[in-house]
Amino acid sequence: MKAETTLTDIELPPTQQAKFIPDLRRDYFSTTGRSLVTLVCLALIAYLVWSFIDWALLRSVWAGTPEDCHKASGACWAVVTDRYRLILFGLYPYEEQWRSALACLAILATVVLSCIPLFWSARLLPIIWLAGYGTFYYLMKGGIFGLPIILETQWGGLALTTFVFSSTFVIGMPLAIILALLRRSKLPVISSLTALFIDGVRSLPLLSILFTAAIILPFALPDFLVGDKLYRVILGSALFFAVYQAEILRSGIQSLPAGQEEAAAALGLNYWQTISRIILPQAFRLALPPTINQVVIAFMETSLIVILGFFEVTASGNAAFTAGGWNSFFAEVYFFVALIYFTFTFSLSRYGAYLERSLKVSSR
Amino acid sequence: MKQPSTAVEVVNLRKFYGSHQVLFDVNLTVAGGEKIVICGPSGSGKSTLIRCLNKLEDHQSGTIRVLGTELNDEIDNINEVRREVGMVFQHFNLFPHLTVLENCVLAPMLVRKQDRKTAEARAMTYLERVKIPQKAGAYPGELSGGQQQRVAIARALCMKPEIMLFDEPTSALDPEMISEVLEVMTELAQDGMTMLCVTHEMGFARKVADRVVFMDKGSIVEEAPPSEFFDNPRHERSKAFLSQILGH
Repeated sequence: MKAETTLTDIELPPTQQAKFIPDLRRDYFSTTGRSLVTLVCLALIAYLVWSFIDWALLRSVWAGTPEDCHKASGACWAVVTDRYRLILFGLYPYEEQWRSALACLAILATVVLSCIPLFWSARLLPIIWLAGYGTFYYLMKGGIFGLPIILETQWGGLALTTFVFSSTFVIGMPLAIILALLRRSKLPVISSLTALFIDGVRSLPLLSILFTAAIILPFALPDFLVGDKLYRVILGSALFFAVYQAEILRSGIQSLPAGQEEAAAALGLNYWQTISRIILPQAFRLALPPTINQVVIAFMETSLIVILGFFEVTASGNAAFTAGGWNSFFAEVYFFVALIYFTFTFSLSRYGAYLERSLKVSSR
Repeated sequence: MKQPSTAVEVVNLRKFYGSHQVLFDVNLTVAGGEKIVICGPSGSGKSTLIRCLNKLEDHQSGTIRVLGTELNDEIDNINEVRREVGMVFQHFNLFPHLTVLENCVLAPMLVRKQDRKTAEARAMTYLERVKIPQKAGAYPGELSGGQQQRVAIARALCMKPEIMLFDEPTSALDPEMISEVLEVMTELAQDGMTMLCVTHEMGFARKVADRVVFMDKGSIVEEAPPSEFFDNPRHERSKAFLSQILGH
């Protein structure tokens, strides 16, 4: 019987829809054992989904005080609706939080625009970044157009998270390209020094790099170079991203056939033309999956800056339930924060999949 | 096409990979417009020799002059030679992320500073010449080996080179595609291009070459017009090679 099915499959492949029921039967119910496993799993899934709906929707409280929540047995979304501004904006002054929201949108718009291949040119990207970061900075910091000045120490929440993440990427990626190129320099001194540098940074945990940037660096630098702690921390985080990304890029570059560089040389292209037109476009394609991976990791690791006193979105989430009697409703707050992270990560991975698909067209 | 009387001049060329010597005092002079076929058993240094002519390989001693420019460590000299010398590789080496047309206009635009319109118009005439204009918008991965190699020839020609180097251009092709590439090369030769071809296609050598250079173990063993080389090889090693390659 099984052989028969396979045979018809080969001879006339039916449409997806026509095959759905027979496939279902073959894949999940062909033997008693299989049917049993299928049914048990279905029951389990149904139970979990139902419990979640029951907790999150049916028995939940959407507004009110901690007392209202304690009376009900379901999810206490009231903590989120009551404290969402703390979670999203951290310690940013309440009346000025619209600025933080706009600044966050500016950064998001910058990130989205830089993701569109149409804008990938050495002229447009810097313009987009300057405009995006300029808007962010002046909105957050103020001091112009009568906006009160708000210091970096008060920045927080989602705006801070997106700012730290996107700056890590914008500084870290060019740095990674430079490191990857230096690493494969033909001059042994340069390549081995770069290798040493990369290995050195990789042997340090991110936490220690952030601590060094925030606390130790000010002692070592002349005053005018110190800058705000926030920017030093971003530089540290960018450096950390860059050394890993540099190795990812190097693996992409090395998997290109030697003939590509030779063909470019034979045509008279110089080093930079070869790198920018031939090597990097192909290396990025090959290194795309691990690159997306690294970017997601960099996004998640922005939550570490809390140890240096920055109230990014996870930390301000923590603050949201530790006061005002909401203590027992941390699960709801974490669920909300997780949803924010998931939105970012999922968009990133979908974007990665889109890139892979569109790039594959040209390298069939 | 202005051509100095001497296109390529190689004097006492020695080349090492580490301590392993692969070229032993090679001397070769090629006049403008001349067609040279270089043949020999594998490992004889023939590919290495022509790869030295546009400095894809460094040489350790001896001099190489291409169109009067000496190939030394001067980056300007190297670039000048590479602008005037086109190369076709065994494995085509087209840029897979660019379309056929983009492959052809890239170097003319970046190196010769042509505007896109001029470069594209010229690229189309060369793509027509290699009989593949209909594939201008395709990616290399969508073409057969023979088609890719013809595009590679067009790409090199778009730079308007004075000299064309061919490094076993048909060795990676399926048998039925070899003739379409040889046909293009033959037409190019008839147009008066200076050509140096490393190839095992003896029929092509007999028909097109002004001179056949036979190499073995890193030295030039014999240099002769094709009629003489094929009918009356003077050296034992040439005879052995010819009987092997023509024997079946």
